[in-house]
Amino acid sequence: MGGEADRVDDWTLRPARDLELAGADRHRSYQRESGLVANVARFVWWSLIRTELKLLHRLEIHGKHNLPRSPSFVLVANHASHLDALVLGATLPLKLRDQLFPLAAGDVFFHTPALAAFSATVLNALPVWRKQVGAHAIRQLRTRLVDEPSIYILFPEGGRTRDGSMRPFKSGIGMMTAGTHVPVVPCHLQGTFEAFPANSYIPRLHKISVTIGQPRTFEQLENRRPGWDEVTNILEHDIKTLANSHPANSNRDATQ
Amino acid sequence: MGSKNPGCRCDHGSLYSQRLEDPASTGDSHLEASIRDHLIGYERAFDHPLSVTIVVGVVSGLVIAGALIMALRSWISEDSYHQAFRWWRSWCWLVGVIFVPVLAGALWTMLAVMVLSLLCFREYARATGLFREKTICAVVGLGIVLVTFAAIDHWQDDALFFAMGPLVGALIVIVSIPADRPRGFIQRIALGVLGFALLGFSLGYISNLANVVDLGGTGTDYRPLVLLLIVAVELNDMLAALIDRTLGHRPLLKNTNPRKTWAGAIGAAVLTTAMIVAAGGWLFQGTPVARTGWLIGLGLLVSLLGLLGDLTLASIKRDVGVEDVGATLPGHGGLLDRFDGLVLVPPAVYHYLSLALGDSGPLGSEGPHRILTGGWGG
Repeated sequence: MGGEADRVDDWTLRPARDLELAGADRHRSYQRESGLVANVARFVWWSLIRTELKLLHRLEIHGKHNLPRSPSFVLVANHASHLDALVLGATLPLKLRDQLFPLAAGDVFFHTPALAAFSATVLNALPVWRKQVGAHAIRQLRTRLVDEPSIYILFPEGGRTRDGSMRPFKSGIGMMTAGTHVPVVPCHLQGTFEAFPANSYIPRLHKISVTIGQPRTFEQLENRRPGWDEVTNILEHDIKTLANSHPANSNRDATQ
Repeated sequence: MGSKNPGCRCDHGSLYSQRLEDPASTGDSHLEASIRDHLIGYERAFDHPLSVTIVVGVVSGLVIAGALIMALRSWISEDSYHQAFRWWRSWCWLVGVIFVPVLAGALWTMLAVMVLSLLCFREYARATGLFREKTICAVVGLGIVLVTFAAIDHWQDDALFFAMGPLVGALIVIVSIPADRPRGFIQRIALGVLGFALLGFSLGYISNLANVVDLGGTGTDYRPLVLLLIVAVELNDMLAALIDRTLGHRPLLKNTNPRKTWAGAIGAAVLTTAMIVAAGGWLFQGTPVARTGWLIGLGLLVSLLGLLGDLTLASIKRDVGVEDVGATLPGHGGLLDRFDGLVLVPPAVYHYLSLALGDSGPLGSEGPHRILTGGWGG
């Protein structure tokens, strides 16, 4: 009879977590896992988007060295346009495309089955249902962020600005990251409001720049309301500081 | 060549036979027209009365099943009704997407088999976790496309098609080496090769069957044969399930699938074989396969391998620990849950019929060759 040394480890077969889901249910699920087709679709999509942003919007990226080298981490920024997530995604290497999950408004990007299929397959977006975002959904997003190599793009304002000024941050980002070792990278987007504001249907050829700040971790904070609020306040302050350091805003301040 | 099948009104097979016997006797333009008819011509969809019988029988069965479900609505629970309705609706879709390409032409049949293979492999890869190995999945996907190409091209009596098995298997091994991840190497390779063997190569034999233009010299094309094969496998599965539920007691393999019983397996084998003997006697009339012994052998082969295909997927599902491999078909599970019985049958039937029909070459060898790679002279 074979001894301990002769034993072979059982093979670990891990089915897709979303195996029992189909169609729109699967596309809207936080358990979604994608395969080869989505992988190729995202390669084509992000290649086109990067080219488009560089050629037509003369995209400038400042502070790229601040990006963590590997997932998991969260990119947070001010939100003025549907271009914002694309600009932030374009700052990352193409090889990270399958780990990149923009958190997108469910009522906009996952409203119909066709839109949900596009948002899930091509954008790899995860839905946030703004009017009914519950603690359970946030917990699922937090678990995925901690357990698996993931990159979230999140806009703590909860929606696009209508006048170009930054709105107060909501505490969802704190609920996801307080008490974890996951770095949060504050970013400031400039020019997306002018290029494609919320009340416009066609983007304009306006220059866009993104400034990437130093990442922060919040493992020392408690995963409770005071910790969430502190995370939110710190990040809001960081992004406002990045905004004020931008030459366009400095000049405006100087002239005012 | 054998005599014409009196039940068949078709004569396009004779054109290819004529060319094989005397290439100079038929103009190239006529041959091209015949190839076009075979590949994309739907006019001959119902040339053989067996095709008509199968289509009418299946559509009638669906209509009766639908009416029964509606009629029983007040007698059964709402849940049971919705489950039965979803099952019936999925069958309606399936019959459409299977029958239409088969009847429409050989090219549509081959492309439909390719799509079926790709979708089944996708479910298999997601169930086993192989989908995380993108390079292997890409090679299997490429292999399925190449198998389809080989079937359409029909190069040298299917030599290119047969070569795809070992070549794609070797390619799966080769592309896995540069990843420099020896841990789990055997598992990844084995999952990839098994997936391609069952869902790419084996299912691809249906495409190969679609190259038949003159079955045993009877002038009958692939349509009634392919329809009979698919319907027989699915009926075998349904009959076994019905007998399992009503008469079955003793489990066949209790760890693999406790619902499968000896009674179901034997009952389905008897009924499926009887059906194939009856339909085959009509289809193969005038050929050596029309002998009762060969037809009983064919019936048993279809029934037994249909059951084994079912048990193969059941073993994979138990190993992985999932109930279904997908949720594509409401009331059925995944596509592979529905077509599992089909994965082992096509190669066995192809080689069995090639053997039984004698020394005229592999099945379909009378058809046009090298359609895509240049010239059909071969």
